[in-house]
Amino acid sequence: MNPSSTSQRGSTPFKSVTLLDLRESVRARWFLVYLLIFGGAVVVLISLGITESRVMGFTGLTRLLITYFQLCIAILPIFILITTVRTVVGERESNVLEYLLSMPIPLGAYYWGKLTARFLVVFLPVFGALALSITWGTLQNLTIPWQAVSYYTLMLATLAWCFLGFGMFLSTLVRKQEWAMGLAFLSWLLLLLFLDAILIGVMLQHKLQEEVIIGITLLNPLQVFRTGAMLLFDPELTILGPASYVILDFFGKQGYLTFCIGYPMLLGWVFSLLGFRLFKKGDLV
Amino acid sequence: MIQLFQVSKSFQRQQVLDRLDLQVKDGDRIALIGQNGAGKTTLIRSLLGQYEHQGKLRVLERDPRSERVEVLQHVGFVPQHPPPLQMNAGELIAFADSLSEKPLSQKVFELSQELELDLHEHSSKPFFKLSGGMKQKLLIALTLSKEPDLLIMDEPAANLDPSGRKAFFHQLSRLPESTTMLLSSHRVDELLSLVNRVVEMDCGSIVLDEPLNEGISQGRLMGCELTLHEVNNSIRKVLESWQFRNGAEPGRYHGEIVEEDRTRFISAISHFSHHIRGLQLGNS
Repeated sequence: MNPSSTSQRGSTPFKSVTLLDLRESVRARWFLVYLLIFGGAVVVLISLGITESRVMGFTGLTRLLITYFQLCIAILPIFILITTVRTVVGERESNVLEYLLSMPIPLGAYYWGKLTARFLVVFLPVFGALALSITWGTLQNLTIPWQAVSYYTLMLATLAWCFLGFGMFLSTLVRKQEWAMGLAFLSWLLLLLFLDAILIGVMLQHKLQEEVIIGITLLNPLQVFRTGAMLLFDPELTILGPASYVILDFFGKQGYLTFCIGYPMLLGWVFSLLGFRLFKKGDLV
Repeated sequence: MIQLFQVSKSFQRQQVLDRLDLQVKDGDRIALIGQNGAGKTTLIRSLLGQYEHQGKLRVLERDPRSERVEVLQHVGFVPQHPPPLQMNAGELIAFADSLSEKPLSQKVFELSQELELDLHEHSSKPFFKLSGGMKQKLLIALTLSKEPDLLIMDEPAANLDPSGRKAFFHQLSRLPESTTMLLSSHRVDELLSLVNRVVEMDCGSIVLDEPLNEGISQGRLMGCELTLHEVNNSIRKVLESWQFRNGAEPGRYHGEIVEEDRTRFISAISHFSHHIRGLQLGNS
């Protein structure tokens, strides 16, 4: 190795931290698994001929994207949480943070650099998989639902940002990795349960107004992503039944799509800012 | 360089630093000694701006917490246990270089070479996969390449082999006189010839703060001649690791050790005391 071959002189600390975390993440085993699941999923879906099948009236690329978003909703959040919640607390426990923060790195550069790198690492494979499915669809002369694909990409980006922010928040909140993992898993489970099971139970027990129940439902970013993705391919939201009237009457189609992008992004920012506040406050290591 | 006024730190209800007062002048070379749990690491982390505390603490006339980047530009730190960094050695050097006001890479390579760490061979290996000694050598080279005004080292020589320690002590001896050092250790004997002041901590308080009259003799070499009744492979290996050479007569070895290392050397050969016929140790 030449002493000057890897020089990053002139980089800002933010860029140095981002590049470093990107390199480390790309080499990590979890990233390989992640790449195989989300990148490989599209290849598997295509090779299984899922675009040719017809389920509930959806065919072609639309069918492939619907299957892909179901996969994303089930795995993406927990994958992001598991890999992000250890970021700060893990480096604290292993004394990596003690060493890194003995260097002149601004705390903001460290925190936001890590978050940016994780976002790129999480989002780019998913984006790549989408691009692959579109390329394949184009080659097969399938109709590309461009508007739906664009919204869907934005929704995936904001969902990733939302859970990354939450993961970083948990990572700065606790002092033990086990606690962080436990809390992450519990949160994910609660959000999943609130998708249907718990809400139906609450509704039956307390006979709450439909609007209240739907209001609670829409606080759940998983539900927002799910219904938003449905709306892209089913403009009347017939799959949702009566709830669709409340949502569409209140928001309208365009308004709801905007909400589906804006709300998770806002949550992501709120949690990541809270995480940064916690990180800066108190003992750093 | 460092001022502490009534600095206290507690974790939950346990007092770890108890109203510390300490003044360190530019060029002071301090051995910070004390048992485990005495508060040494907490003090070091407070100096690095990593812990919040009560009382007033200044490093280079600045608050290391609120002005940590400005302070840390002038501080070099070597931890006791090298952290399990995932990045490879070359990336670590490039990363530290990108954060430093001065270019470091060339200097790191030179200092590593002196410590017998070949970075051309190891720079593409993940840091955590290097041996304990290699990690320590790289962290030392990185820190010294910054030419810091304040050098904080926690048991810096613990993982080094005899020749590495010799080179390390020699590197310390070349630092400018204005460099302030805070060397933490359990073993005061190793540090005595490197420092001009000893600060001992116990239960979060400073129980001893004494200047050393002998002065600094960093890196001074001592000649040593060892005569053995019988030479076996084990003792030969130990002596070779200390770069001792076999003289004209069989069983007679001679070499040089750094003065700071004499206790360690005697301890290393004490396992073979029944083979030793004579030992001479004196100024080289």
